[in-house]
Amino acid sequence: MAFLKKYFSNIFQAIRSLTTGMRITAGYALRHGKEKITQQYPDNKKTLVLPERFRGEVVLTHDENNEHACTGCTACELACPNGTIKIITKFDVSPEGKKKKALDTFIYHLELCTMCNLCIEACPTNAIRMAQTFEHSVFDRNKLTKKLNNPGSKIREGVE
Amino acid sequence: MPSLEHIANLVHDWLNAQFSPGLALFFEFFIIGVLIIGLFSILGLVLIMMERKVSAWMQLRLGPNRVGPKGMFQTVADTVKLIVKEGMTPDGVDKLLFNLAPFIVMIVAMVIMAPLMFAKNFQIWDINIGVFFITAISSLSVIGILMAGWASNNKYSLLGAMRSGAQIVSYELSAGFALLTIVILTGDLKISAIVNAQSDGWWIFKGHLPVWIAFVIFMIAVTAETNRAPFDMAEAESELTAGFHTEYSGMKFALFFLAEYVNIFVVCALGATLFLGGWQPLHFGTGTGFNRVMDYIPSSIWFAGKTFFLIFVIMWFRWTFPRLRIDQLLNLEWKYLLPISMFNLLLATLITIMGWHF
Amino acid sequence: MSASQIIFYLISAFILGCGILAMTTRKIFRSAIWLLFSLVGVAALYFWMQVEFIAAVQIVVYVGGIVVLIIFSIFLTQQSGKEMPKPPLGRNIAAVLAVLFGFALTFLLINKYGFTDQGKAFDWSVNKIGTQMLNTGEQGFALPFEVVSILLLAAMVGCIVIAMRSKPEEK
Repeated sequence: MAFLKKYFSNIFQAIRSLTTGMRITAGYALRHGKEKITQQYPDNKKTLVLPERFRGEVVLTHDENNEHACTGCTACELACPNGTIKIITKFDVSPEGKKKKALDTFIYHLELCTMCNLCIEACPTNAIRMAQTFEHSVFDRNKLTKKLNNPGSKIREGVE
Repeated sequence: MPSLEHIANLVHDWLNAQFSPGLALFFEFFIIGVLIIGLFSILGLVLIMMERKVSAWMQLRLGPNRVGPKGMFQTVADTVKLIVKEGMTPDGVDKLLFNLAPFIVMIVAMVIMAPLMFAKNFQIWDINIGVFFITAISSLSVIGILMAGWASNNKYSLLGAMRSGAQIVSYELSAGFALLTIVILTGDLKISAIVNAQSDGWWIFKGHLPVWIAFVIFMIAVTAETNRAPFDMAEAESELTAGFHTEYSGMKFALFFLAEYVNIFVVCALGATLFLGGWQPLHFGTGTGFNRVMDYIPSSIWFAGKTFFLIFVIMWFRWTFPRLRIDQLLNLEWKYLLPISMFNLLLATLITIMGWHF
Repeated sequence: MSASQIIFYLISAFILGCGILAMTTRKIFRSAIWLLFSLVGVAALYFWMQVEFIAAVQIVVYVGGIVVLIIFSIFLTQQSGKEMPKPPLGRNIAAVLAVLFGFALTFLLINKYGFTDQGKAFDWSVNKIGTQMLNTGEQGFALPFEVVSILLLAAMVGCIVIAMRSKPEEK
């Protein structure tokens, strides 16, 4: 008897869950005119809205004084799984005569990047972030190797 | 308003007046062949377009919208592309069977069309075993799939073909039982007799409980028999790349694709004939004004409307449910559908004997 | 020769041709497919005789059932895609002789006795077949029908016994 009860309750639960699914898709089908998630990309280039967490490429943020927050600690380089980032450091000499490690060149190989976001999570000073640009096609592969720090930029005061 | 029956009779009379009866019969065969092939190509274009649009609606997408108005000529463009593509025959395949398989699948789909009643008194062959003829011929379609899977000399194809074979052979049983329910209620296998029995109400209204159960089982079983999602184990792209038609390209692939959609049309037309009254219009009571309005709609429109409604339901299944595993698939058939349809058959017999249907 | 006769000879030639191909091909899967076409041809012959019910049963049982089972067992055998070796000459000769003797015997029988016209059309409607099958009275087939059902039931029970996994012993 218990077997029969289970058998029939199985059937009714199956019917209930299947009709739930069908109701949801039917609902979508009925309001297909009002709500669409398709972005007609090249046509709506002007008004394109990307989600907040979209990952296009890694950029080093500079403020209006051409200053960034990168200390050259290479945490991002270590975190990167496929060697996309190469940090070249130099030693700044402070007025007191003390040597201090600082960023010389932030090299970013866009062609190797998988947009995994690990470097951004590894950065202790929030110097880098993911930009929302995504039109990266170029005719020359060398153009994909980018230098992220602007010429003449220096580290922001107070960032250690 | 000229009905399809009227036009067919005109053509028949004209041919018989012009030629000898044998020659006229030959010309009629020829016309029917051309019409069926035309119906096939139109069905292919319309159903594939419909599938794309329905899937887009259900996923809040736009669907094809570039070629022609609202993307309506997308399937035409696809067909042109498939026709001009090279029909590759890879090395290492069994060349004869590899090239024969798509045609077998296609011919079977064509032959099943014969007893269908497209409008009032408009039918190719009113064979006296109508429903049984359809079940018998449709059991042939598995052969084409097995042939394609074997001849491709590819492990994915072979696995897909075996799954498809197991699936079609088992789901044929419950589809057959669902058909038998209606055959018992009508007492005849002829398609025209089944449709005429529903002139005072469709079986789905007249036959109440056993017919409802049979209808649900029929829809599930034919979805499995036509290898549609959620039962598309034969092609399961995530496991078997494309199953039995992995090695096919160009027009040979298109024939498989077309046959799938034509089979959907055939089983839905069968379902509409058996459960929803074929070309019979919707009637409530007798002699009301509503009935008279319904009678003005041509019978071919009624038939097409019901068939396309069922096709929509099958597409709805596809874009809602996830694919089953092979053991779940066989469990569903042998542990649930088959016992239920057997008891349902007994119930239908009881109701017929006692005259409890309306 | 009427069109009906031409169709008869075409179908017969198709059946025999497919039968010969099924015997002579050296790929086992092709052999099964030729057998299938031969059986479809037999069904076509039934359609030609306008006994549609028998034709449909022929397709369901032989083509949809038995040949599919044969194909399944071919799929499950090892190295079934290889060409089989040529049979030895002696066996070929013996086979041809057997076929010739079979033909000779059939031909002699037909030649001597011929076909007699019974003079009455046989009733093949599905209703008639159904009532005759379950008729308990004179010339009814209820008893053979039930006996065959018992046989099939026994076969099914046997399959279940073979396929059933015995439960592990309780400790």
